[in-house]
Amino acid sequence: MLSSLIWLPIVGAAIIGFLPSRFSTSQIRTGAVWLSGAVLLWTIWLLTQFDIHNPGLQFREYLPWIETLGLNYELGVDGLSIVLLALNSLLTWIAIFSSSVQIDRPRLFYSLILLINGGVAGAFLAQNLLLFFLFYELELVPFYLLISIWGGEKKGYAAIKFLIYTAISGALILMGFLGLVWLSGASDFTYQSVLGQTLPLSLQVILLGVLLVGFGIKIPLVPFHTWLPDTYVASSTPVVMLLGGVLAKLGTYGIFRFGLGLFPEAWAKLSPFLAIWAAVSILYGAMAAIAQKDIKRMVAYSSIGHMGYILLGAAALTPLALVGAVSQMIAHGLILAILFHLVGVIETKVGSRELDVLNGLLNPIRGLPFVSSLLILGAMASAGIPGLAGFIAEFLIFQGSYAVFPIQTLVAVIGTGLTAVYFVILLNRTCFGRLDNATAYYPKVLWLEKAPAIVLAILILFLGIQPTWLVRWTEATTTAFVAAIPVTEPSAPIVQAMPIDSPRLPQ
Amino acid sequence: MTSHPPIPPSPHPLISLNMTTTTLSPQTASVPKLPPSTHEFAEIIHRLEAGSAMLPDTPENLMQIIGLYKAYAVPMDFYWRDLLYIAEQVFLEPLPFFKYFISKEYLERHNHYAGDDADLRIWRGQATAHPELMAFIEKGELQSKLPRIFHHWWHDRINMEFAEECMRAMLWHRKMYVPVNQFDPYLDSDEYKQNADRAIRAYFEGNPFMLGLYKLFPDMFLEQCRQASYYANLGLFWEVMAPVFFEMSDLYDEGKIASVPDAMNFLVNGIFAIAGRPIYHHVYIKGKCYEIIPKSKGFTWLYEAALPYVEAVFYRTSPFRGTKSYNAQAGEVPADQKDFHYGVLYADKFPVGTAGIPPTLLAQDMLHFLPQYLLDYYQLHCRGENDMLIQLAVSFQRSMYCVTSAVIQALREALLYPLDDPNPKHLLANRKFFEAQLDRFKRPEARLRNIQSQNYR
Repeated sequence: MLSSLIWLPIVGAAIIGFLPSRFSTSQIRTGAVWLSGAVLLWTIWLLTQFDIHNPGLQFREYLPWIETLGLNYELGVDGLSIVLLALNSLLTWIAIFSSSVQIDRPRLFYSLILLINGGVAGAFLAQNLLLFFLFYELELVPFYLLISIWGGEKKGYAAIKFLIYTAISGALILMGFLGLVWLSGASDFTYQSVLGQTLPLSLQVILLGVLLVGFGIKIPLVPFHTWLPDTYVASSTPVVMLLGGVLAKLGTYGIFRFGLGLFPEAWAKLSPFLAIWAAVSILYGAMAAIAQKDIKRMVAYSSIGHMGYILLGAAALTPLALVGAVSQMIAHGLILAILFHLVGVIETKVGSRELDVLNGLLNPIRGLPFVSSLLILGAMASAGIPGLAGFIAEFLIFQGSYAVFPIQTLVAVIGTGLTAVYFVILLNRTCFGRLDNATAYYPKVLWLEKAPAIVLAILILFLGIQPTWLVRWTEATTTAFVAAIPVTEPSAPIVQAMPIDSPRLPQ
Repeated sequence: MTSHPPIPPSPHPLISLNMTTTTLSPQTASVPKLPPSTHEFAEIIHRLEAGSAMLPDTPENLMQIIGLYKAYAVPMDFYWRDLLYIAEQVFLEPLPFFKYFISKEYLERHNHYAGDDADLRIWRGQATAHPELMAFIEKGELQSKLPRIFHHWWHDRINMEFAEECMRAMLWHRKMYVPVNQFDPYLDSDEYKQNADRAIRAYFEGNPFMLGLYKLFPDMFLEQCRQASYYANLGLFWEVMAPVFFEMSDLYDEGKIASVPDAMNFLVNGIFAIAGRPIYHHVYIKGKCYEIIPKSKGFTWLYEAALPYVEAVFYRTSPFRGTKSYNAQAGEVPADQKDFHYGVLYADKFPVGTAGIPPTLLAQDMLHFLPQYLLDYYQLHCRGENDMLIQLAVSFQRSMYCVTSAVIQALREALLYPLDDPNPKHLLANRKFFEAQLDRFKRPEARLRNIQSQNYR
């Protein structure tokens, strides 16, 4: 059942990659759209079968593989991974849909995208540390090729930088995993068997630190973020949607699953520092975004800030904050995808991403009114305006983390305010003002180009109004995460301030 | 009687009951040549000296300007009728809710320059309102026969706001071309005030409230009366222009206007043919005619209406077009009205799309009456149907540059020398005149540079 999510796109990628040349670009594209659509439908079906009250793994699959290495084909899904799988399937479909009809080398392009889809799904599903690592690394080369072949200016530089950073990330994660298994004496790399092992706290802290840096590069968290602006800006729209929407979530997923999940004690000890780290990331991302002149770069920096909220929620370790953090992964994925898609449309039509050049795009006759309207919606969602998905996630995080880390939370709230600042700058310059008649001969925006943004906008709006559909999947799993944290002395007073129904309270 | 410079006879004997066109004679080899102009717009000046227009002579330009003349003339046929209806019938109505609901009599009023009983038949068509106009008034854009008030509220109508904006521009910029233009000094004369007073008293007879207000604020009523006189002025001006444009469109369709200079020369000849048409203001109150400005004052179409109109509407107008915000306190609006340059020759033809902006409303009016060849043409460019409003507004700007060229050539003809004058000093005087005229387009916002290229749409 779960394997289909991995192998359907990978086999599809192989087929598309070797299609004979008589198939036209648009036919290949249509094939890729249908294939990713099938994966999406399969994911939706899986969602309907998913038991939201069960915090454990569901739909488990097991196949022995290289047992001497402790590597087995073990899959399973819980409340954390199911939503990320859904996000992965949706964004892949949207990325393929939003790719240009006349793209160069379509076979390779769509195969790589599908390969990434399969790889990311595998990483979210893997219940074996080595298997996770394999899938985690699987997306590295396809992304490198997607950036270096179909990227924009400075694509070579960006692709190499991405490759180096993420390779280091992979090495650190492997190091962490090996350290954990060897030092704990676990029999294999199965997640469940590693879970039960105990290590001295100091060792736990070191191993967690290694994993945090590894996944922190992927997310990325300041100061490991420097690859992100260059890579995001150099990537084409479908690729950047996947980079920001899905790949970054591999990092946050890793932190949740392997950081928080495997080292709960060390996590609880480090959590004040993690919260400070999150607050710094949020502020840095927002302030760097304010300083940008390129709207794609601005959205890229906004991503750094928004990933900080996830870390803040994870650090707070309250059920509410964790639900908020997972919701933020989804909301961020959707919002970043719509923003990058719209920025891509603007760049294609206007030929510029410069704030000083863009102006008056809301003009109903010669501007890009529809795209601008959705850009305003996307920016509002990103800035956490109530009624949209971004608000739900951020509000849950703040509500859940304020009792634990009030100062860090307040700093993060200031970060949200700064988010509004740079989005107002972006909207004010880009959408409002007066369109210059001398240059305003932009081509029409086709329905095909609007459709992905419409789908994303509907989801952002729907999840903002009906947040239960955002949080219901993960509630049981995140509550179990919190329950697994041992109540230690320093955090005891904090626990008192938590919601009354917290499972950590003495019953 | 006023004293104008003599209106020269038509330079070419072609204005007759059956107007046809000939071109102004371009310079021939026998005419002494001046050294090339060093003006910024030297190329355009040489073109004017050769008897052509500011607009380059291309088939694409010709198609656009003639198509727009036609699209402009249909609403204009309503404008002039309604302007005269307001000037003569609505007059000082304090609550003029129905001033755009023109009476049947005015729709059927015979144009003096069209139809069988014309004073001078310019258009070979009918004297009553244009058939396309009548069809539009009946069913509108909605294509359904509803009571007119519903069409009006739905803004499915001819937008008189543009016509009133033009009238107001002329009123705001009074005293242009004085002393040649005697219309404005007359509005301040005792004679006018007495005539107006008689009409105002008659209009409000039996209405002690309004008469009491008139006693308290006589100048306010007088100013309203002056505005009504300008309604009449513009109405009489456009009564001529509508058939001129209709005829040009027909001649183009028949292949008799084949170039931009042809079109311009038709206008030049038309200007001279009707230059002497009297400008007056009569008001009808309870069936009696009050001559506020009698025909006997000798005000003429060319000097009291056409030239002030061109100056006020093409060049100056006002910085309230809604397409750009001007900050008067930051000095963005000139202190002196004569320095205003917001007219059609300077305007950014880029309506922001909101309702109520007169140029946008004009574009909306013209959109209803575009000839098929222009609809097809616009479909091929920019965003096709979606931004036709702007595309046609830019074509309109081109067409008004052609009209302005005709006015410049007519003024040169009236005040200076023929283009083929053998005396070099005369030719130099002509050149200085052209250069002085084109100096007004050196301003950065002038669109003369833009219209030289077809890429400006």
